[in-house]
Amino acid sequence: MLALRLILLLCLTFLAGAREEPIGSLGRQGSSHTNNWAVLVCASRYWFNYRHMANALGMYRTVKRLGIPDSNIILMLADDAACNPRNKFPGCVYANPGRNLDLYGDNIEVDYRGNEVTVENFLRVLTGRVEPSVPRSKRLLTDDRSNVFIFMTGHGGNEFLKFQDNEEISAFDIADAVAQMWEKKRYNELFFMIDTCQANTMYSKFYSPNVLATGSSVIHENSYSYENDYDIGVAVIDSYTHYVLEFMEGINKTSQTTMEDLFNTYDPVKIRSHPGVRSDLFERDLRDTLVTDFFGGVAQVEVLPPLNGSPRPRVSFDEIMSETAEFGVHQEKESGLVASVGDINWHVFLAALGEGPQSEVGRPFVRKARTWASTLAVLVMGCWVATRRK
Amino acid sequence: MDDPSLLALVAVRVALAFAPVPETFKYDQQLSSPLTAYSRLREGIYLFDHGVDPYSGGSFRHSPLLLSLFSTALPLTRYTSPVLWTAADVLAAWALARIWRLRTGAKYTKRDKQVIALYLFNPYILLPSLALSTSSIENSLTLLSLMFASRGRASASLFVFAILIHISLPSLLLLVPILLLSISRPVSSLTVPHPFAGDPKGALPLLGEFLGYTALLSFASTLVCGNWSWIEKTWGAFITLPDLTPNPGLWWYFFTEMFDHFRPFFLLVFTVHLLIYIAPICIKFQHDMLYAVFLLVGILAVFKPYPTLSDPGLFISMFSLFPETYPYLRHPIVTGLIHLHASLLLPLFNSLWLRQGTGNANFFYASTLVFGMGNGAALLDAVWAGLRVAIGKLDDGYEVVQE
Repeated sequence: MLALRLILLLCLTFLAGAREEPIGSLGRQGSSHTNNWAVLVCASRYWFNYRHMANALGMYRTVKRLGIPDSNIILMLADDAACNPRNKFPGCVYANPGRNLDLYGDNIEVDYRGNEVTVENFLRVLTGRVEPSVPRSKRLLTDDRSNVFIFMTGHGGNEFLKFQDNEEISAFDIADAVAQMWEKKRYNELFFMIDTCQANTMYSKFYSPNVLATGSSVIHENSYSYENDYDIGVAVIDSYTHYVLEFMEGINKTSQTTMEDLFNTYDPVKIRSHPGVRSDLFERDLRDTLVTDFFGGVAQVEVLPPLNGSPRPRVSFDEIMSETAEFGVHQEKESGLVASVGDINWHVFLAALGEGPQSEVGRPFVRKARTWASTLAVLVMGCWVATRRK
Repeated sequence: MDDPSLLALVAVRVALAFAPVPETFKYDQQLSSPLTAYSRLREGIYLFDHGVDPYSGGSFRHSPLLLSLFSTALPLTRYTSPVLWTAADVLAAWALARIWRLRTGAKYTKRDKQVIALYLFNPYILLPSLALSTSSIENSLTLLSLMFASRGRASASLFVFAILIHISLPSLLLLVPILLLSISRPVSSLTVPHPFAGDPKGALPLLGEFLGYTALLSFASTLVCGNWSWIEKTWGAFITLPDLTPNPGLWWYFFTEMFDHFRPFFLLVFTVHLLIYIAPICIKFQHDMLYAVFLLVGILAVFKPYPTLSDPGLFISMFSLFPETYPYLRHPIVTGLIHLHASLLLPLFNSLWLRQGTGNANFFYASTLVFGMGNGAALLDAVWAGLRVAIGKLDDGYEVVQE
């Protein structure tokens, strides 16, 4: 009996130890995603829900700043705050009481606005089951190497979120939609953030792998707004989103800050509610997960060694190095991936270049001979002309 | 030429060639056109060396003669290229000085050094040469051909001219005056107009000789390429204007806006427009064919399809050959100031349009118009002075009018 228990213990420790090394390929348990998408949903409308609009727009600005392009962002807003007749600053949406930064600006792309922000559209966007007539900008075109960031804000309650004062979405619906995404290989890792009352209940029903979730308050607890602006006349941002965005202002594209750092800054006293994190479905350690894995569109660049026989380009290499420093290069040293790509086959490259007259200049010796013959012919002509008088 | 000051001039030029020049020079649109750019030349040679036909893409438009020369006898590296281009410039300056001496008839004059310095350190010629644009080679060949023609060595002149035609087709404008120059004398006779001194029928066998040289060089070019596609890509580029990269000329902007329906018509108009100047200028200046060549170089500077700064640079440097016209230039200061104005505006508006994005193409187009006006003003003044010098000093009460 004791031997059996010992063997079991050994097996368990072995398995537990084995779990430390997932199948990530770049760096130390790094992420294996190649592209980033974001779905930012503000589920409220009307002027007095200005702060929910500002939440979503603030997150939109952050995500764009960190490198996710508009083509990879689905922004769903009621979009009735900026041009509202009650807005003292028309065309502008601010997220802080001093009105320092206009989030609305002239360069935002809202994909679903007004009456298009419905539960049905949201679920269709997530699962990809859209009508054929839906344009590409309104589709979530993720693949199995995409990291998806979903941010939702609005009025919510115990396992539900109110959409546009009209309908509700439940935590089970979202969980099922995410499960469909997993079945259809529509995400590599998914990060779900929600800022509503009793927000943590919304992520309690997830059951698909590789989902990390965080919310602003526990069950039976409200989430509060941060501050009012006395000229606009309403609250301009929610407390939880405000502190998250404040944290994100210190992040740039090359930042190595982890999700663990983000979650460690949660202060229930300042935020005035208890944010939560759900990471049991998430395989990687939060200390190894970068914030930019979800919030940013950081490109992983591999710098290949120069081709055999061709001179190393001088200036361009320096430019590449200075540019890749910005993008956060994860250079490979021992991985087998680069070794196989490092020796590119010259002939494949040439064959890909095309056909036709190339075959005539293709043979090097003949080419050299013809070139020399041509040069010598011109020289001979020149000498003959030089000997002519008049 | 053994004068130490001349050697000093050449030494300064060589030192300038190796001075640290910003990399952006090679890509500057004023200093090189799509047909003369060094980067494209290097790219074409690289592709050729690796077995790819350089004329199959759209970027390499240099002559196959240059391709063969620079991939065999004269390789282009970081050190050989400045030396080659400096040698081309020095050769051109020497040819210009020889033309000057032949024109004055003296073996050595006080102004030799000034003529050479005016060529070597003319910024319009110096900067494209530092940018390693092949337009410097074109200038050298033009001046060499003129020098041989001035000496009466028609064969050498036409051979060099045939090479020039292979590199730059619009220089064909200069064919008739160079033929006539080689059978007449370059000595200045602007003050004494007379009917054409030589026998024009003697030019016909020379024309046949020129066509023969051109044909042989075409065969040499085909030998390099293996097919005839180079004709369409090099000579065809001057006629069909496929590449609308901005340059200091007047064609590119016009053809960016041209509808395809009218494009062939206007290409024809622009090309024939160049040709209509040959006969009148050669007839009017039949007493001094070198001056006719000079004026046609000026026409090329204004109306060439793909000019760079070298083309008006050659025109301005050749002004030094005709000091007898200086007193009769009507507005040299205005012309000079327009040139100064344009030469400052061209790079400024180019940068504003393409680098900073605060301007648009019209800014640069306007500066090319000003530049064209400057060149046109210089040309018109040269025509006027060339004719006026024949009338000479006027008595009181008389004035010169144009009929």
